[in-house]
This record gives sequence, structure tokens and C-alpha cells, in this order.
Amino acid sequence: MKEQLMGILKDLRADVDFEKEKKLIDDGILDSFDIVTLVSELNSEFDVEINVMDLEPENFNTIEAMLELIEKLQEEG
Amino acid sequence: MDFISATFIVFVVILAGVYFMAPDKVKWLVLLAGSYIFYMASSVKLLLFLLFTTAVTFVCGLALGDINDKLSAYLKEHKQELSREDKKVLKNQASRKKKYVVAAAVLINLGLLVFLKYFNFIGGNLNSLLLRLGVGRTIPTLNLLLPLGISFYTLQSIAYIVDLYRGKYQPDRNFFKFSLFMSFFPQIIQGPIARYDQLAHQLYEPHKFEYTRVTQGVQLILWGFMKKLILADRLAVAVNLIFDNSASYEGFLLFFAAAGYGLQVYADFSGGMDIARGAAQILGIKLELNFERPYFATSISDFWRRWHITLGSWMKDYVFYPLSLSKAFAKLGKRTRKVFGNYVGKKLPTFLSFFIVFLLVGVWHGSSWKYVAYGIWNGTIIVSSILLDPFYEKFLEKCHVNTKCFSWKFFQMVRTFILCSFGRFFSRAVSCMTAVDMIKRTVANPNPWVFFDGSFLELGLEYKDFYVLYIAILVLLAVGVMQEKGIHIREKIAEQNLYFRWMIYIGAVVAVLIYGNYGTGYAVGEFIYQQF
Repeated sequence: MKEQLMGILKDLRADVDFEKEKKLIDDGILDSFDIVTLVSELNSEFDVEINVMDLEPENFNTIEAMLELIEKLQEEG
Repeated sequence: MDFISATFIVFVVILAGVYFMAPDKVKWLVLLAGSYIFYMASSVKLLLFLLFTTAVTFVCGLALGDINDKLSAYLKEHKQELSREDKKVLKNQASRKKKYVVAAAVLINLGLLVFLKYFNFIGGNLNSLLLRLGVGRTIPTLNLLLPLGISFYTLQSIAYIVDLYRGKYQPDRNFFKFSLFMSFFPQIIQGPIARYDQLAHQLYEPHKFEYTRVTQGVQLILWGFMKKLILADRLAVAVNLIFDNSASYEGFLLFFAAAGYGLQVYADFSGGMDIARGAAQILGIKLELNFERPYFATSISDFWRRWHITLGSWMKDYVFYPLSLSKAFAKLGKRTRKVFGNYVGKKLPTFLSFFIVFLLVGVWHGSSWKYVAYGIWNGTIIVSSILLDPFYEKFLEKCHVNTKCFSWKFFQMVRTFILCSFGRFFSRAVSCMTAVDMIKRTVANPNPWVFFDGSFLELGLEYKDFYVLYIAILVLLAVGVMQEKGIHIREKIAEQNLYFRWMIYIGAVVAVLIYGNYGTGYAVGEFIYQQF
């Protein structure tokens, strides 16, 4: 799943090192346009429903946090 | 009560004195009393509107909190017996109830704002339409007053309600404390638009007198006075003259008026923000930044991340994200992907959200077609820049343009400044048509000789005024550059020697007294954003 997510992220922003960056939101590396595009991709690729309430920096600051969010939402069904 | 007045200075001094001497438990009451006195100094009658919005928001907040609490308690109690399906059904039921409460709060509060602010505009346009249809003007023009700060405190109340819907925190159960959150005097006139979880606890917690903090607050207020009186009100003389007689000017003089207005509005609004933040800092409260050196922006998108930040942030959290992530927009995205292909189709719904946001930002400023145009201007530039970005990058690569050097960044800043300035025609001209006409005559009639033939000295400003403007802009630039590098000016000054520090402080006060533009009869110009 991590490779899938990495593929989506790289497609979105090839200029960002998603392995290294730990503050994608807090440092403004991903802007609101990126986030919205990313979320709609994640929703369709992983069959989850990320909504506005999930858009906290803690959930998107690192690739690991994003994976955790996806897994949590997949579990809840 | 005007920020720029001896009355305000006296008010802050007395309030701070009473606040610091009051026992900890009632300090917040002092702030509440002070805030209401401040508001009533402007108008006692219009206070009713603020009270009404406060009451509606407070009650709806409690209702949302109750629904959330009942749901949590029930789920906890019956954790073992409920299946995942049952839990989902209960959550959806609660969601639906909460939606009604949110709808009620938003309709009432926003409805009130829209009515007071836009009734005559909408009525007037409908009348024109009816006239054209042969029905005649049937909608009356009402004599409506706009309560002080309504455009700001209404948004603040909506943020609170939606946050409660999202379960971000517990509602405030003390009506008087909540009233303080809604009326805190430094931010009631023109923001910054605060979030409950950032501001409320600061207001309710007692703060002690602390020399460094209080003096830094005073310095920030002084800085705000400088920007407003020395730069903004001085530029206003020439800007007002040109905009009031726009037909008599063209080319570079018109551009000077637009660019000048941009600088005027920056100095005016950010100066007001400094006074607000400084006053709050004296009392131990930290208000959010509304500006981060907007004229250092390298693109219009970047500009809006540095200008009126709390409004942009509000739009992002309460309009852009909910709209873009809604089911309706997801469906739209699937359809546009089929029609327009992957590259454009994926992005179209988001572009629509951006457009809606900028239309709202434009219209929030006031009820006129020029503000709609302002919104469309900004929305179009941003959307097209996102769309054209990959082509632009390839073009730059082919031309071997170095995009990492300072000269490129400088070019981007100048380009953004010019684009921004053209946008200002819409926000300052008397009407949309005038703005378009002014833009046409700026571009079509270049007149570089005006820089040499003394035209600039016929705008109500003398030679000396232009020197003051240059120095003021240079000082702002220097401060901006230091802040971009992360230097905290007030702390840097505090580190210097006593004599140097006091030279700066006294120099600043003297500059305000001598170079402040006090207008005819010393009627200080009202803050531009007070009218919104």
C-alpha cells in the first residue's frame, strides 16, 4: 500500500521528497490545492471517505501518517 | 472609538491598569466590560445586533454539544451490544440533527449579515431587471446601518458552530465568557478573525503585568500608528484625488493611483492589525497574524497566503475544503474527468471551488459589482496559473531561465505587484465600469513624461511628502526583509543598548507627530476595513 501511496504522491508533486519530509502541512509544502487533489485520489484508489474533519495536520504531515489514516478509515468501513 | 485617537490610548491605558490590578478570577470580566464599552462608544443601538448573534450562536453551540455528548454517552454505554452498522446509523442520525442546528445558526447569523449588507444591492439590481421587463421598480431601498465589525464577528461565529459540528471541542457554557470571545475589542472592528480554540482560553485565563511583554505591545501599537498616519493617510491624499477625478488622468498616473492604493490599504489595514495585536499583547493575549509581507509574494496564490490571512484561512476551512470534498463535487469530478480527460478533468471541481471562494472574498468586501469583478479577477489569475504551470515550467526550461537566483524572485515579486495593482482598480474605483475604463486608459495611454514634468506635484502632495513616502517605504522594506529572514524586530531592538533603544522609540513618536498626515482640521482618516 505504501508504494501505491508513494506513486500517487509523486504524481501530484514530483518535486517533493516524501520519504524525508516530516512536516508536509506545517511547513506549507503541500498547499490546499494539493491536499484536495490528493484526498480525492486517495478516496477513489483506497475506497475510503476522507472528509473535512480528517484534514488535520497530524494526518497529513508524513507519508506514514497518511497510511495510518487510510488504514483506520478502511477498518471503520 | 477610533483606534487612532487620544481616546483610544487613554482607554487602553485605563483598561490595562484596571485589568492588572483586578483579582485573577474577574480579570476576564474587566475585558468583557471594556469590550462592550468600546463597542457602545461607536453605537449603543447597533450593539443589539452583536448581542443577538452572540445569543443565537451560544444557544446553537450548546445544542450541538448536547447532541455530541448524548451520542458519545450512548455509544459508550452500549459498546458491546451495538454492531458496526448500528453505530453508523446512530452517528448518521446525530449528524442529521446537528446539520439542522448548524443550518439554523448559519441562516440566522449569515442571513442577518447578508440582509443588512446586500439587500439594497440585490434590490437595486432586481429593480433594474424588473424595469427592463416592464414591471417597474417595486423593491424599496431601505435605510440600513451596518453594525460595527459584523462582517468579522459573523464569520467568527460560523467558525465556532461548524467546529462544534465537527466535534473539535466542547461548547462554551458561560454566556458572559462567550460574549467576551465574540466582542473582544482589539479584533471586533476589523479582525483578525479568531478561532475559538485559539483565542477563548487566552481571554479567560488571567495574565500578569510583565514589563517585556507590555512594552513590546506598546511598540507594536506605535508601529501601527506610524504605518497608518505617515504612509497610509499620506498616500490617500493623492490616491483619493485621482480616483475622485479619474477622467482627468491616464497612463502612469492612473497606475500610480492603483499601486498607491494597494500600498495605502496595506499600511492602513496592517497598521490597524498592529494596533489590535499590540493592545492584545499588552493584556497578555496573542492574536493571529493577518499579514506576512504580502508584497514579497512571488505569485497571486502566494499573495493570498500572505494577505488577510485569517480570512483566507476561514475560507479554506469553511468553504474550500467542505465544497471540494463534498459528495456533489466528487460526482462532478468523475463527470468532468470523462469529458475533459485526466489532466484538466481531475482539477475542474477544485477550480470551481477556488472560483467560488474568490467570488465570496470579493463580495465580502462590499455590495457592488466591482467587488464581484475583483473576485473574478483573482480567481481567474489563480486558476489559469495552476492550469498553465507545467507549460510555463517547460517554457522556462527551454529558455534556460535560472529560477533559483534572486533576480528571478525579484522579477516574480515585481510581476505580482503589477498584477495586484491592476486588481486594486476594482476595489477602489467608484464602480465596475469606471474600473474597467481606468484599466483601459492606463494601458492604452502610456505617458512616461509625467515623471519629469511635475505632474506628481499636482496631486495634493509636496516634494517633502514624496521624500517621507520614500523613506517610509524603505523602512517597511527593510523591516520586511529582516522578518523574511526570521528576525524578530522588537526583540532585536530590545537587545541593543539603552540609548539606541530610546533613540528609536522617541524617534518613532516624533515621526508620528511631525510626519503623520493629519488631514484638514486633524480629522484622522477612518480605517479602510472598518467599513466592511
